[in-house]
Amino acid sequence: MKTAALSAMIFAVSAAGVRAEDIVVIVNPAAKPVSKEQIADVYLGRSAELTPIDQTVGSSIYVQFYKKATGRDAAQIKAIWSRILFTGRGQPPKQLPDSAAVKKSVAANPNAVGYIEKSAVDATVKVALPLD
Amino acid sequence: MKARPLREALHRRVGRITEPQILFPLIAVVLLAAMWMATVGIIRLKHTEAEHDAAVLSRELLGTYEAQVVRVLREIDQTLNLVKFWHERNSLQGALSELKDRGLLPPDLVFSVSIADRDGTIVESTRPLGGESVADQDYFRKQRDGSAILVGKLPAGATGDGKLLFSKRLNGPRGDFDGVVMVAVDAAFFVSGYDAAKLGEHGVLGILGTDGIVRVRRSGESMFSGDALDYASVLPKPDDADAEPPISRSSWDGVWRWSTAREIYGFPLAILVGLAQEEQLAAVQRDAFRYLSWAAAGSVGIILLMAVLGRMSWQLAQSRLRESESKLEHARRVEYLAYHDGLTGLPNRSMFSKLLAQRISEARRYNKQLAVAFLDLDRFKQINDTLGHEAGDQLLVEVAARLQGCVRDSDTVARLGGDEFVVLLPEMEEGKQAVIVAQKILTVIGKAFTLIGHEFRVTASIGISLYPQDGEDEQTLTKNADIAMYQAKAEGKNNFQFYSEKLNANSLERLTLESSLRHALERSEFRLYYQAKRDIRSGRIAGMEALLRWEHPDLGTVAPMQFIPVAEDTGLIVPIGKWVLKTACLQSVAWQKEGLPPLSVAVNMTARQFSDEYLLQDLASILEDTGMNPQLLEIELSESLLIHDVETTLRILTGIKSLGVRIAVDDFGTGYSSLATLQRFPLDTVKIDRSFIGELVGPSEDSALADAVIAMGKSLSLTVIAQGVETKEQAEFLRAHACDELQGFYFNRPLPAYQFAQLMRAQTADISYVGTRAGLLNPQL
Repeated sequence: MKTAALSAMIFAVSAAGVRAEDIVVIVNPAAKPVSKEQIADVYLGRSAELTPIDQTVGSSIYVQFYKKATGRDAAQIKAIWSRILFTGRGQPPKQLPDSAAVKKSVAANPNAVGYIEKSAVDATVKVALPLD
Repeated sequence: MKARPLREALHRRVGRITEPQILFPLIAVVLLAAMWMATVGIIRLKHTEAEHDAAVLSRELLGTYEAQVVRVLREIDQTLNLVKFWHERNSLQGALSELKDRGLLPPDLVFSVSIADRDGTIVESTRPLGGESVADQDYFRKQRDGSAILVGKLPAGATGDGKLLFSKRLNGPRGDFDGVVMVAVDAAFFVSGYDAAKLGEHGVLGILGTDGIVRVRRSGESMFSGDALDYASVLPKPDDADAEPPISRSSWDGVWRWSTAREIYGFPLAILVGLAQEEQLAAVQRDAFRYLSWAAAGSVGIILLMAVLGRMSWQLAQSRLRESESKLEHARRVEYLAYHDGLTGLPNRSMFSKLLAQRISEARRYNKQLAVAFLDLDRFKQINDTLGHEAGDQLLVEVAARLQGCVRDSDTVARLGGDEFVVLLPEMEEGKQAVIVAQKILTVIGKAFTLIGHEFRVTASIGISLYPQDGEDEQTLTKNADIAMYQAKAEGKNNFQFYSEKLNANSLERLTLESSLRHALERSEFRLYYQAKRDIRSGRIAGMEALLRWEHPDLGTVAPMQFIPVAEDTGLIVPIGKWVLKTACLQSVAWQKEGLPPLSVAVNMTARQFSDEYLLQDLASILEDTGMNPQLLEIELSESLLIHDVETTLRILTGIKSLGVRIAVDDFGTGYSSLATLQRFPLDTVKIDRSFIGELVGPSEDSALADAVIAMGKSLSLTVIAQGVETKEQAEFLRAHACDELQGFYFNRPLPAYQFAQLMRAQTADISYVGTRAGLLNPQL
């Protein structure tokens, strides 16, 4: 209970903090352009054409991203991936601790897709889709 | 022989089944029974199928779930073993981050891995475990003493984000206890495979420990932990593992489910799958309800249809029945009409013939007598002609009723047509009985009838023939009764006659007369004779009366007395009368042209002629055709004829008078007519009946009567003529009593036309010629 209350508080604070910060979907500069529907499919395990990379579960950018990209909250995402994992139909996206790690991973993998703050974008990656 | 009644009974039964009131309810019952049996059968079948499907599904789900759970458990076990191996090999801190970096740990999303040292202090964890030490945990103590994989428990109640903890012991270099590796998994993860499409909202998917404690179970979106089950009873016995799962009531929520469990090999766990009976059978229940509704609607339909068909068929049967009844009624009616007289309802001639033939054969067998009485109304034709057919019909109906009223039930009254009736008396002991009946009939017929407001009297003539003496067959008896009836008419009517051989001869004569009379006119067998009327003072011929004679080729001259009644009865009198009128007129005109003096000609007219509706027309055209001076023509009518119906008579007489024709009353004094009545008629002449003249020389009271009659005629200012004067005495008397003219054999017998012409010429030339014949009357001339 204590944990739940604490995490809810963190979530609320960080959500407010990131409000000014826009999130963008990034891909390898060599990758083809992607649509918002493709992103949603990939992050909900409905498509395996790209390799999705997640941020830390429950982090504010994680929550924001899923909200904007798929319209679902963290619990729903967890339930969806639990089911996929349990039934053996896929593995949840690999989690990386911060935007820099994500950027690095995307830059290294032409098939990878990730999401970071807009401000963190640099030439190593390509903005595939701004999420507003 | 025995089989036949049985078969007939069977046929009757089968036949009765086809009657609409049995057939249609029977069909309805059969159809309803078939439909409901089919419906119930289908529902049962569907139910059984659904149960079987649920069982099969349950087993399939169990198999799938087992595979998934086993895979996950293996992964967990493998992770535990990996960490254990790594730890025991390297005994380094940071094993988890090392392994994680290498991607050897399961996804963080669901799994978290932790390591505690030998004191229970968490030394490393992929995610915070919510506590620094696990030393007081049950599993930690157990791992200190064992090496098996342990599965944690969750507190009883709803499970939100509870985690199941899997743990394994870590050994030190010498095999001593060096801590515990733990994998915490979201409890929800184990039931995330819950497929609502298959399990519904009340199915169950769950994991329980071999200790009987439910680790997690899920129904719909709700997850629970901690229930204690009787592990042994949940698990099927080894020998019927393939059997369909039993249905049982879940201890936790009371839902009936087909549920089955299976132990997981190598882990202290079992899986549990249950399908809610209500949900699995819901579709079937809906179908069942639908089928029942259809069946109910169908039942109503069948009942209505059968009711309608039954009713139509019943109506058809009824209308057929009515039709056949009306046909039968019609046939009866036709038969009735064929054998009965439409007017009176009496048996007709055909029926009478049949009955008579039947009675004759009965009488023959039992040696009995029977009588046939023919009856004819005497003045019927006249009534019909003067009062109209309706009155005539009314009279016939009344006569029929009276006749029936005066015979016994065993007697038969029939109407042969017209005014002819016949009475059959089948049970006769002797002829006297026929006499009694005949008298009775004459009496009842003689009573007054009231027709169209007037009283009338009619009489009847009856002829009777007897079996066996007057004939032994139907035709002879009928014919002889008819002959006897004619005799009764000839006898002056209103009487009855028995048949005799002599009658037969007379009747034959009459029949001959009748048939030759029909041809007499066309064969010009009639002649007119003329009898002079003389002035009582001068003795000169004052006029003449035309008298009809029939010169029959075989019988010679037939007297009017003999054939006039026949002519009257047959209606031949009308054309004959016209011939007489025309001939008399032509003769008179011819004589005048010859230069003979214009003398009046009297012509007799019978009742039938008088009532003929064309009389006035005929009379007018004869006068015109012949050029006869109407003043010279005199119609003689019987007194009795005049008083019959005063108003009608007056109308006709006025008509005659308006043509200028004179009118004489014949047989005056016999009709008992009153002076008042006679005064109303436009008469010119009265002819005193010969009966008065014949008695003139008798007792004084008779002559007084004649005197009175003459006086009466005089008082009406009429010419008075004496008829049938035969003697000088009579002539003297009449002259003394101021009679005007005389007529009779004493003066002149009726003469043929050429002789009468001679008589007239002689009188013109020499009066004494007449004198020689009438010398006694007028000796001075």
